[in-house]
Amino acid sequence: MLKVEGLEVRYGRLTALRGVSLHVERGETVCLIGPNGAGKSTLFACIAGGVSATHGSVTLDGKRIAGRRPEQIARSGLSLVPEGRNIFKTLTVEENLRLGAFMAKDRESIQARLDEVMAHFPRLAERFRSSAGSLSGGEQQMLAIGRALMTGPRIMLVDEPSLGLAPKIVDQVYEILMSLRDEKALTLLINEQSSKRALRHANRIYVLRSGEMRLEGRAEDLQDGEAVMRAYFGFDERREVGEAAQ
Amino acid sequence: MITFLQNVLDALSLGSLYALTALGIGLIFGVLKLINFAHGDFITFGAYALIIPSSADVAQVLVGGWSWELLIPTVCIAVIAIALASDYLVFRPLRGASPPTLMAASFALSYVIQNAIMVIYGARPKSVNLWPVLGDQTHVGPLTIPNLNLVTIAVTLALMVGMTIVLRRTSVGIQMRAAAEDFRMARYLGVRADLVIGLAFVISGALAAVAALLLVAQTGSLTQTMGQPIALFAFIATVVGGMGSLAGAVVGGFVIGAIVIMFQAYLPPDLRAFRDAFAFAFVILVLVAKPSGLLRAKGLVERV
Ligand SMILES: Nc1ncnc2c1ncn2[C@@H]1O[C@H](COP(=O)(O)OP(=O)(O)OP(=O)(O)O)[C@@H](O)[C@H]1O
Ligand SMILES: [Mg+2]
Repeated sequence: MLKVEGLEVRYGRLTALRGVSLHVERGETVCLIGPNGAGKSTLFACIAGGVSATHGSVTLDGKRIAGRRPEQIARSGLSLVPEGRNIFKTLTVEENLRLGAFMAKDRESIQARLDEVMAHFPRLAERFRSSAGSLSGGEQQMLAIGRALMTGPRIMLVDEPSLGLAPKIVDQVYEILMSLRDEKALTLLINEQSSKRALRHANRIYVLRSGEMRLEGRAEDLQDGEAVMRAYFGFDERREVGEAAQ
Repeated sequence: MITFLQNVLDALSLGSLYALTALGIGLIFGVLKLINFAHGDFITFGAYALIIPSSADVAQVLVGGWSWELLIPTVCIAVIAIALASDYLVFRPLRGASPPTLMAASFALSYVIQNAIMVIYGARPKSVNLWPVLGDQTHVGPLTIPNLNLVTIAVTLALMVGMTIVLRRTSVGIQMRAAAEDFRMARYLGVRADLVIGLAFVISGALAAVAALLLVAQTGSLTQTMGQPIALFAFIATVVGGMGSLAGAVVGGFVIGAIVIMFQAYLPPDLRAFRDAFAFAFVILVLVAKPSGLLRAKGLVERV
């Protein structure tokens, strides 16, 4: 459903992504891992239209989305939960959520989405009228995911959901993500620091390092974690991509 | 006590003008990170919209002679038009440019508008008698209040309440607040950049139009630079209130108004000529104590 081919992104003289390709099929959960500064957030932001590419193509269900505005991409069914959540702290929890649904036309469908998000995140229902700035880190992460859901996405990109959260909270966040995948058949692309977690939840894994894709493979083929580690730390640069993808 | 109350009313009235202008500047800054120095020239433009374009010394009113129900919307539309045109011709091509670049562009725009007015209307000040009834005074007990002060305060209060309702209760209002806090994130959620920016210029233009009318009613004269001092004080008000916070802009406007009036009233007579210098010194003190302004803006970070 999402296909990225030969993507290149530059910040001035720095090339953050070099010939990056990736694809996510309908219903899949795909994890992207890689060391700090690898370009993971850049890749996500670029797919969502927040950063422009110098080369390459991005298509969603066969339609080209590279070069389109972020709001257009959001409207075509792709939602990004950015690194650091970017909660609107001066708005209430409710306003944050409703913001995601302004492109929906009728009140009923907005209310239906709101009810659905509340069902997945009971904690948000309790804090509905509070200022979003007063939420804890974990609650903010839930709000960010809930808000993205309000846009009615077919595919959701989640950038480092575990950032700065206690392991127990991270487990909760993943539990919710996985229930969304199962119940709503939501397609997920997740940027995850921990390769263990990625291997546990994903159907497929990508490893990005220094702006280049180093490894792609099915999670079940990579369970021992060794190929992932090598790609992650760059001990062995030989053709893992072809090898693991078979 | 009576004089003090009179001074308070004067302060509220001047503060109103600053608050309206600061809100117009703050709104554009919130959404575009643009400090629009041409906002003062939008005000000037609104004032000149009252008279027939001509370089003759004696101004011929056209719109200025209409009944207020027609006059106010007409001036608003004129200023909104120039605000939107400025965005389209100057700021839109610079989307994504750095804030200093945008600020320089707004200086250039300011200069162009001023000179265009000078070319069309001539360089001399003109006198316009707008709404003479506002020159009368109302007596409330021992207080003598100029009607204009009452109207200025009432209009500002009404606009603030209206803006608050729009920003809190309506869908576009929430989108604007979100965009002012984190524009990119708002767009990731499907908020249309064009809608929000366009609306910010519309509201900002309307606020400039109202400020223009209040200013003309007060001074009775037109000059090409008439909007500048207000815009300068209003800009300082946005900084004092906390750049990026709309409530802060309003609070800042009233604070600056109060400072100016109170210095005017209570400085020793010899020093009153330096009122503005004292006011600015006070502003510097405020900023030393609270560098991010009285009401800190929360959403001023931007990165991937
Ligand atoms: N707005 C920006 N301007 C300039 N350089 C940037 C910008 N954003 C990121 N970079 C640079 O691009 C490279 C990739 O950054 P990116 O944030 O995409 O990495 P990441 O894989 O998400 O890292 P992390 O795991 O730390 O989040 C880094 O070298 C970073 O310094
Ligand atoms: Mg990152």
